[in-house]
Amino acid sequence: MKALRIVPEKCTGCLRCELACSYMQTGAFQPAKSVIRVSPYEGHTSYAPYTCTQCDEGWCMAACPVGAITITAAGAKDVVDDRCVGCKLCTIACPYGTIFYDPDTHKAFKCNLCDGAPACAEACPTAAILYEDVAAADWLADFAVERSARLLAVGGR
Amino acid sequence: MPPRHLIIGAGTAGLNCVRTIREEDGGASEITLVAAERPYSRMVLPYYLDRSIAESHVFTATAATLATWKVKTHIGRKAAGLNPQANALTLDDGTTLEYDDCLIATGSRAVKAPVPGADLPGVHSFWTLEQARAVVAGIAPGSHVVMVGAGFIAFTILNSILSLGARLTLVEIAPRILPRMVDDAGAALVETWLKKHGVKILTGATLVRIEEARGKQRLRFKKGPDLLADLLIMATGIKPNLEWLQGSGIRMNHGILVDDHLRASVPNVYAAGDVAEGKDGVTGLPAVHAIEPTAMEHGRVAGANMAGRDVTYRGSLNMNIVEVCRLDVASFGAWDDPNAETFTGLRPERSAYRKLCWSGDRLTGAIIIGQAGDVWTTNDVGMLKGLVQTAVRLGVWKEYLRRNPFDLKPAFIASRATGQLLPQTILGRPSRAPEIPTTVSP
Amino acid sequence: MTGTALRAPTQARPRTETRAVLGGYAGKLLRVNLTTGKIRAEPWTPEEMRLWVGGVGLGAKILYDEVGPRVHWDHPENRLIMATGPLAGLPVWGTGGLTVVTRGALTDGATSTQANGFFGACLKFSGYDAIIIQGQARRWVYLYINDDVVELRDARHLLGKDTWECQDVLSAEHGLTGHQMSVYSIGPAGENLVRFAAIQGDYGHVASKNGCGAVMGKKRLKAVSIVRGTRALDAADPRGVVQAADDIAHDLKTDPSARSLYEWGTLPAVVNLYKMGVLPIKNYTTNVAPAGVEMADWEAPKLRHGFDHRGHQCSACGMHHCHMQVIPRGKHKGELVDEPEYEGWSGAGWQIGLLDKESIAWLNTRIDRASVDVNEFGWVCGWVMEGMEKGYITKAQLGFELRWGDLEGAARLLDMISHRKGFGNLLAEGVKVAAEKLGGAAQEAAIYTLKGASPRGHDHRGRWEEMLDTCTASTGTLESGVPAHVTEVGLPARINPFSGEEVARQVAGILGRRHFEDSLGICSFTTRTRLENVCRALSAATGWLYTVDECVRFGRRTAAILRAFNLRCGIGPETERPSARYGSAPLDGPAKGQAIMDQWEKMLDSWYAGVGYDRKTGRPTPETLRKLGLDWLRKDLWGKKR
Repeated sequence: MKALRIVPEKCTGCLRCELACSYMQTGAFQPAKSVIRVSPYEGHTSYAPYTCTQCDEGWCMAACPVGAITITAAGAKDVVDDRCVGCKLCTIACPYGTIFYDPDTHKAFKCNLCDGAPACAEACPTAAILYEDVAAADWLADFAVERSARLLAVGGR
Repeated sequence: MPPRHLIIGAGTAGLNCVRTIREEDGGASEITLVAAERPYSRMVLPYYLDRSIAESHVFTATAATLATWKVKTHIGRKAAGLNPQANALTLDDGTTLEYDDCLIATGSRAVKAPVPGADLPGVHSFWTLEQARAVVAGIAPGSHVVMVGAGFIAFTILNSILSLGARLTLVEIAPRILPRMVDDAGAALVETWLKKHGVKILTGATLVRIEEARGKQRLRFKKGPDLLADLLIMATGIKPNLEWLQGSGIRMNHGILVDDHLRASVPNVYAAGDVAEGKDGVTGLPAVHAIEPTAMEHGRVAGANMAGRDVTYRGSLNMNIVEVCRLDVASFGAWDDPNAETFTGLRPERSAYRKLCWSGDRLTGAIIIGQAGDVWTTNDVGMLKGLVQTAVRLGVWKEYLRRNPFDLKPAFIASRATGQLLPQTILGRPSRAPEIPTTVSP
Repeated sequence: MTGTALRAPTQARPRTETRAVLGGYAGKLLRVNLTTGKIRAEPWTPEEMRLWVGGVGLGAKILYDEVGPRVHWDHPENRLIMATGPLAGLPVWGTGGLTVVTRGALTDGATSTQANGFFGACLKFSGYDAIIIQGQARRWVYLYINDDVVELRDARHLLGKDTWECQDVLSAEHGLTGHQMSVYSIGPAGENLVRFAAIQGDYGHVASKNGCGAVMGKKRLKAVSIVRGTRALDAADPRGVVQAADDIAHDLKTDPSARSLYEWGTLPAVVNLYKMGVLPIKNYTTNVAPAGVEMADWEAPKLRHGFDHRGHQCSACGMHHCHMQVIPRGKHKGELVDEPEYEGWSGAGWQIGLLDKESIAWLNTRIDRASVDVNEFGWVCGWVMEGMEKGYITKAQLGFELRWGDLEGAARLLDMISHRKGFGNLLAEGVKVAAEKLGGAAQEAAIYTLKGASPRGHDHRGRWEEMLDTCTASTGTLESGVPAHVTEVGLPARINPFSGEEVARQVAGILGRRHFEDSLGICSFTTRTRLENVCRALSAATGWLYTVDECVRFGRRTAAILRAFNLRCGIGPETERPSARYGSAPLDGPAKGQAIMDQWEKMLDSWYAGVGYDRKTGRPTPETLRKLGLDWLRKDLWGKKR
């Protein structure tokens, strides 16, 4: 099964993936509704995108009281809008922080790998997001450790 | 002869148990389900109340689904007595059901504050579908709704009441709202927010009597003026349904004491959900976590073990989340541990609050409050859960979080929590999509 | 916390959210009155959007309508317009764009100056296309925008902080990091009304021209901070926007004229411009590198080499242009800086005789952090260094010795200027005022235009089109800019760079293109593609059929309004000349002996004919106004009779 592989060293923090993702999610450009989120490291000097790993447990899916989260052909856990009531249980069940609640639609939403053609990977101008035949892994930890030494040394911001 | 599983209760714990047994055995065993009501999800009743879903949407396992799953049912029947020596359950109509193993998942019920007048017909609870129907029928635009008890249950229907156009007053005997979900500082922030959104709040208010007043309810207090309610909801707590187990010999404290396989103290009996007192994953001590995620995990672990697997439960994590007027309020683990070292951060102008509770350099509990539209709140809700769940050592990041309690993400990532979480599963295998049990072979 | 909430969120569960009426636009302008504390959102119509587009187009119209001739740059009723445009926030590269329009402090005339980062994107996602700031706060405030919550907040705790510190503090106060909040602020130079103070934002992006930072300082507005908004931006044809964006990106990556910019940002300009005699060295006293300096060491890869550098791009940008870097050695080892642009290498480097790369990188960021325009700093500092070398500025005047290439001295001068200390108080008026005050040989050596505007960081004696453009522009800086694909607007691809008339025809012929780019909320580097592609992106965003003809006409309309504004302010054609040194003939180097002033009058004749302005009065002719759809301006410029 293909998965999103993040190469954090290549990210420049342009947030174009968020625009592409939100367009796929909502039909408009609205990074607040993006399910890939670029976050800063070392204050404001380094960036890396972060999104759902489609983990084996599927904490969100198991937690849903109405069975509104299911597994797609692309192997993604996906929210079925017609079933979701917006109770937010999935958002506290997910220990990665990668399922979201939309206060406008009252639905949960998350990465569904765009049915096998992730928009974020297509939009990234520096190939920091790849869609490949790899197992889910922690792509960011080493980078975050390296890019935090300085921050911690100087005592925060 | 195939094993006979008996599931008592068709709430979240019971149905997850059924589903898991079927995931494991593909239909090889006999399952009998006893349920006082047609199975539905209590979690979704607030959305039935605000009419964003139809009543049909609340039902979880229809008769057809249960038939597909090859489950025999006794719907509308209550368990009346358990005889573990005889491996037999007696129902309220006198029927006796024998089992090879059984799950007690009879859940809990709402209790009203013991004040005169609480049993008047106009005083509602909001717990069961039946009670929800009564409340739905009783709220009209402009009507004045009073909720007694400003805890989690009340908060789950707060948005619904407002969206129906009702005026709302919250009455709480404690000096502040949400006494069992957030700390003082968090409660103050939520209170300010709710008042800004037009909710009236009376804290430290001791209700002494409720009277019928020409179709309305008059609330009389120890101090201060009366309140006149068009509709009164008592959200003053819940209690596990355990009375029917008197004399069964099952060890109970606040709930049925269960081991790390969800087994009760007598053979062939498991317990799950609100009635079970199992391991708290943070403290390691027995605790009743009457919350949906615990019921789900209990049910799944019990089901896997009943189906013959050997699954050890790592313990449940106390957690709650509620959104009121677009403000997210969530807490995890031992957020109220008086002995824990705590860091807090308050950003009143963004209505944001964080509390982090520590044991050494591990997170044991947390509170997070922030605007639901605030993109970064939800990320952090999940990450806080992950940090408490994994109990990863945060090392140097602890000091960083003391100064920057809102900048959780780099700490989460750099502490390698993701790597610890990826192999974690409740059942020791990938979870299946909810549709899977419908493929049980006839 | 003081302030006025624009609109408190009242509805518990709104079912729908407000969307902009026209794709690409947020649909509202935010008007902030610092005197009264009143803040309101003003909708604007699709017709207005097509006419004024955004950025400098919108800003010019507001400036002309609202700032009268007696409202000088430091008058409370001056407007500070921070505008973005219809492409900001969309996935076209470099679309965090900000255009600042105001009556600026150096020329006391119109200003159009750009920066990027995430300002434009954050503003649009908050629901606004532009901010119009007027009045003067009684005490220092900053503007806070978080969707509907727009407030003026106490900024006293931010006073004295440089621009990076200001962003650090505001981010920490709000519990936000990185691009979660865009902050544009002024440092000490803006607070102290230095006439070439800039507005700096998002760690390294600067709207630097014509003292817009002094205008902000005069208003006692320390910063504008915008939380990355949560609103949706629609496009009429979102796929079309993405396709146009991809085509532009392809062009930038493969077009020989844009490709080095894609890979190295503006770094290659150091060597490329040196080869043309356009790199300013030691205040235009030479165009030859000192003995022992290998220009090969100043190629782009060498300028990046050794620094621990990290991409720090603007909204949706795929260029390898902006970077953060850590200084690898020397006194400032370990300090975080913004990688210098070409103009940093020139203004904080070659122009002041400083050729140590780590030192330039450090000084360049200090200049940004103080909110000083790096070009004018270079012209001032280089002028003082030359003056001290030649003896017409003394140690007694300055308070210390300042020699070519003296890093610590330059930093000290920066501090004196930023805080208007001692001789710095005069220098803070800009090199033109300081030189005119000293007169004589000192005045002869200063680089400026008679209008007061700072030339960009080049030696324009080898690049005549920019000297002519700088002198005739109404924006306080380059107005036509570097032509990207001139054949698109019917101009010859190549001309003789030292033929005044050919140069002037080129500058006049391209007029309007830059105004168009600067109205879109996009970077001028990511529009180095065919205009047709940019028009296509705009059309897909808005649903218009926007042609190259319309974009040039729109740009020229904007240029004419800015010119009319300046004429009303009393800034006429007599100011359209370089200073003695600025217009001198180079003494050595590739452009040695090329004397622009010999051809100056002919160049102006040709330029005026090309743009359709009256040579004598400087006014756009009635015929030009008619063609541009500016008949309403005719009365103002020519009186009722014509």
